[in-house]
Amino acid sequence: MNVIETSSGNSHFVEINPVEDGDYKTLSKSRFFFDWKKEKAYEVYKLQLSRTREIIGLISLEKIPEEWRVHIRLLTLSKGNIGREKQFDRIAGNLIAYAARIAVKEYAEYACVSLRPKSQIAQHYIDKYNMKLTGMTLSIEVPEILDLINQYDHEK
Amino acid sequence: MKSKTNKDLIADAEYGLDSRYNSKKERDSEAASLMEARLIRMKNLSKEHIIRAKLMQLKLKMKAYIEQPIYDDQNHFAQDINITPIRLSQVINNHRDPKDEFIMKLMIHSEKVYENICEFQKEIWYQVYFHEKLCDTMSSQEEWRTKLEKDVKLSEAID
Repeated sequence: MNVIETSSGNSHFVEINPVEDGDYKTLSKSRFFFDWKKEKAYEVYKLQLSRTREIIGLISLEKIPEEWRVHIRLLTLSKGNIGREKQFDRIAGNLIAYAARIAVKEYAEYACVSLRPKSQIAQHYIDKYNMKLTGMTLSIEVPEILDLINQYDHEK
Repeated sequence: MKSKTNKDLIADAEYGLDSRYNSKKERDSEAASLMEARLIRMKNLSKEHIIRAKLMQLKLKMKAYIEQPIYDDQNHFAQDINITPIRLSQVINNHRDPKDEFIMKLMIHSEKVYENICEFQKEIWYQVYFHEKLCDTMSSQEEWRTKLEKDVKLSEAID
């Protein structure tokens, strides 16, 4: 997995790991938008640069086995990675692809990753990640979910 | 305060995505319509897509199995190869050289771990050990060479 440094175009290796108890004190609301301590009951993962260990993205997930679905509850990039001044590209894509891997590993051809963004930004997820809209919910399923995994596994 | 433009909204779309349901009722209702739509899409899945999904699942499960740590702590590993945790710690932290018996135990242990996965190359632990020795010796020449060179001579010249 990798992210792209926007200023140079250089690729940087990243890792996604579960957030540990000790991490929460570093995940401030000012840098990561939400109060992540409230998500402790769910599966929370951090995306870190392999070289520096800096956390640059977070995602919290809820597995819903009876629906063969993994629901993205919260997702954010660190503050320095939004808008025109962002340092790295592909952070959110890697996190969504990680949720997709969990779903396919558990549910194979029934796998589904869902989220429900505000209506103004739904189109962004439809265009960028090939998601489908049902009511208020966006979802990605087979075959698009497999393409997403492959895209983020292989692109350098 | 200026309101956000569409461009700003898209730039922020991945910063602070809150996708939590407000109530159980909302969640259940959305889950029902999503499942309905998905079941229709699933019916149209080709055989090829199903096979691709199953193969991807197998790949991801194998990867998870390989990456899974075998031991939670050093003490259990020490027990399994019948040495004291202190001795194991000394070897791991380079405070004591491993004896031949230690390397042989590692060899047997690895054979057992890999038994159902693939063939384990018996010589690998010796190679690791001696390779490290070789690297350490060659990289620390400045420390030992000056002293030891005084003790080594050639009494007869070799043509």
